[in-house]
Amino acid sequence: MYIDKAYVSIIKNRYGLTIDEAIHDCLLKMESSKKDNNHDQGSYKISIRNLNVWFGTKQILKNINLDIKPNAATAIIGPSGCGKTTLIRCLNRMHEMTPGAAAKGCVLIDHRDIYYKTVDPVIIKRRIGMVFQKPNPFPTMSVFDNVAAGLKLNGVKDKRLIKDIVEESLKDAALWDEVKHELDKPGIGLSGGQQQRLCIARALAMQPEILLMDEPTSALDPIASSKIEELIHGLKKDLTIITVTHNMLQAARVADFTAFMYMGELIEYGSTNQIFKNPQKELTERYISGKFG
Amino acid sequence: MTRLLDLGIDHIHNIIMDMAKLSENSVFTAIESYQNGVHIKKQIFDWSEKLRISQEEVSDLSVELIARYQPVASDLRFIKSCMEISYGFSRFGRYSYDIADVLETMGAIADCDKSAVLETSKIVREMITISLQALQSRNKNAVEKLYQMDDIVDAQYRKYFRDIIESSQEQQENSVPSKYNNNPRCYISALLILRYLERISDHACYIGDSVHYIVTGVSSPRR
Amino acid sequence: MHKEIPRQNSNNNQKIQDIMSKRYYRRKLVDKLASTFAIACVLAAIIPLGSILLEVIKNGASAIGIQLLTQPPGAIGSGLEDSGGIAPAIQGTLIVVGLASAIGVPIGILTGIYLSEFASGAGLFSTAVRLFNDILTGLPSVVIGIVGYVTIVVAVGSFSVLAGAFSLSIIMIPIVVRITEETLNVVPNSIREAGYSLGISKWKITLFILLKSAKSGVLTGIVLAISRIAGETAPLIMTILGTSLFFSSFTTPIDALPLRIWRLASQPYDTAHSQGWGAALLLIVIVLISSLVLRLLVHRKGFRVEALHV
Repeated sequence: MYIDKAYVSIIKNRYGLTIDEAIHDCLLKMESSKKDNNHDQGSYKISIRNLNVWFGTKQILKNINLDIKPNAATAIIGPSGCGKTTLIRCLNRMHEMTPGAAAKGCVLIDHRDIYYKTVDPVIIKRRIGMVFQKPNPFPTMSVFDNVAAGLKLNGVKDKRLIKDIVEESLKDAALWDEVKHELDKPGIGLSGGQQQRLCIARALAMQPEILLMDEPTSALDPIASSKIEELIHGLKKDLTIITVTHNMLQAARVADFTAFMYMGELIEYGSTNQIFKNPQKELTERYISGKFG
Repeated sequence: MTRLLDLGIDHIHNIIMDMAKLSENSVFTAIESYQNGVHIKKQIFDWSEKLRISQEEVSDLSVELIARYQPVASDLRFIKSCMEISYGFSRFGRYSYDIADVLETMGAIADCDKSAVLETSKIVREMITISLQALQSRNKNAVEKLYQMDDIVDAQYRKYFRDIIESSQEQQENSVPSKYNNNPRCYISALLILRYLERISDHACYIGDSVHYIVTGVSSPRR
Repeated sequence: MHKEIPRQNSNNNQKIQDIMSKRYYRRKLVDKLASTFAIACVLAAIIPLGSILLEVIKNGASAIGIQLLTQPPGAIGSGLEDSGGIAPAIQGTLIVVGLASAIGVPIGILTGIYLSEFASGAGLFSTAVRLFNDILTGLPSVVIGIVGYVTIVVAVGSFSVLAGAFSLSIIMIPIVVRITEETLNVVPNSIREAGYSLGISKWKITLFILLKSAKSGVLTGIVLAISRIAGETAPLIMTILGTSLFFSSFTTPIDALPLRIWRLASQPYDTAHSQGWGAALLLIVIVLISSLVLRLLVHRKGFRVEALHV
């Protein structure tokens, strides 16, 4: 469990558990709930159990329990500051890059806790791709080098393989036709929408199983946004995609499952159809109808 | 906080309420005109036209709201149901017109035995009142009672129909004079109006279904 | 269908317009005065610089010649033909500055990288490093020269190239550290996050991605530092001593341009003075050329301004 050294005592005092006990505890819970419910535990790609996250002494996420299905797009919606970005950054252990971050709970990917003490966070990040709100291609690299960056800097040397993967990733990101003759031009010379697709291609080049997208279209114009939405639709057959968005209608368009978060808690989670036609919680109804937030 | 969508929803709500009153009025007036022999076909025709136009207005407005504001959850269910409910009210208007038309076509039926129709019409009037109240107060439980009353109306209509057939058969076979035979106008007009009443009661049930859908999000199957 | 949102009182609007128009001419006058003042300041800054350059070129250009550039100095007080040149000083400057850079640039860049990327903001060690860096920046160069004397010269046993390079590198390091740290800090965090999210380790991100972005900034820092140490005289007095001979070994004295200029200027002879002007011009030219060469080498495609992306 990653816990910033400065805050170990806060957590120990608050919950009275050591780190190993906490992990063991939630794995036990998973096993027992497998026996209780009939639903197919084995078919979840990511299982989050009792996730609590702090920045300093402020608690950002409160007891999140969530199961993400594979080969589907899941959207996380909620007003600003509800913790949705923190949640997905916990899934690939990015949040520990921020000083003062502490997390407690389990995040199981394919039934293995990614926070276990022997797990190398760098390796986790290679299995999970991430796309950020503002497109951030590497400024000194060409389009080709940008997409290949993850491969080259992680030790892949086979030039033919890299070339093939770059082409495939750019095609998957629906960018190949626009850049195939300009692979040597600098990455930042592309338009905003193209840059974002470049970042998606860069993430896809690592052949991830899971793709995390943090408000991928909020900095883009509507046409570029709809291209990305079509992309998500095409990619979800092979990947598990989780997107954070404050545009509810985008979630309605793109996602198979939607989770609504408010003030660090998971309020409701279900199929997008059900959430948007017939939400069970009144808070969810008020948020998606635009009555607050 | 008033959303822009709320202005549109209030507008639809007002039109629906107006349609409710008007259609209730149309049906009651048509039945009364049958009862008392008053010819007011033109009046009812105007009302029916007004209801039809209002139904188109609700339909257009609903589509406009959906396109502009992308409503979700209960707002979306409300708008969808209003489209169905407004159709129901326009049907009330149409059937009222049909009832009034029967009078015109049949001519002199003042001496007929109108008891069957009047009995059924009492139930139907009550059903209309219940369905309008359910709409006003978003009462999802009214639909059960409505379907029970609908069964009664159906039964009455079928009984009347069977009686006519059986007694004319009896007359043919056994030369027993049918009580319906003296004036075909009577029983034909009564049969037609009973049929219209039966359809009105079906639509009242559908309105109850729509209210149930708005409140719970669960659509019940047409029975 | 839409409600009208009531507009603010348009009286306020009128009042603002009145106020703004009354002050208009005064504002224009203040504007004009301010820009004139700014231009005057610019001129005040440029004119001395320009006049120095002109003075140096005027007096030094005549002294430049093959003799100056290739001959060792002749006897003090000799006439034009026997006065020799300043060749050992040129060689000495190149060697000492080169050696100082070879020591100072890597240490400076690595320290700058440490402070920017690896140090947590408030840690004791990093605060100490920054503090010492700032102190070093302000240290008088003569004191640094004394330090060089006390350490290297005494240890080696004589004035030497090593001592000179050592002292100059101490002057160089804080400049490079500060500029490297600043330019790396300016690189947006989103680039680092992109690198982490691909599972690239931190040092690789720093070396292959961040430094490339910060390339021109770091280069400016290095050029600045080189220009600074090429002209430092005080530390050289105490560490390399100066000589009329060409380079022989790292542990023997050597000459350098600033030192030679000082020596020539303090002699009462005209030939010495004109040689001094020539040396001064040469020093400026050498620094200019080396910065151009460095820029060309790193950018390779010429003078491309690396725009800082937002």
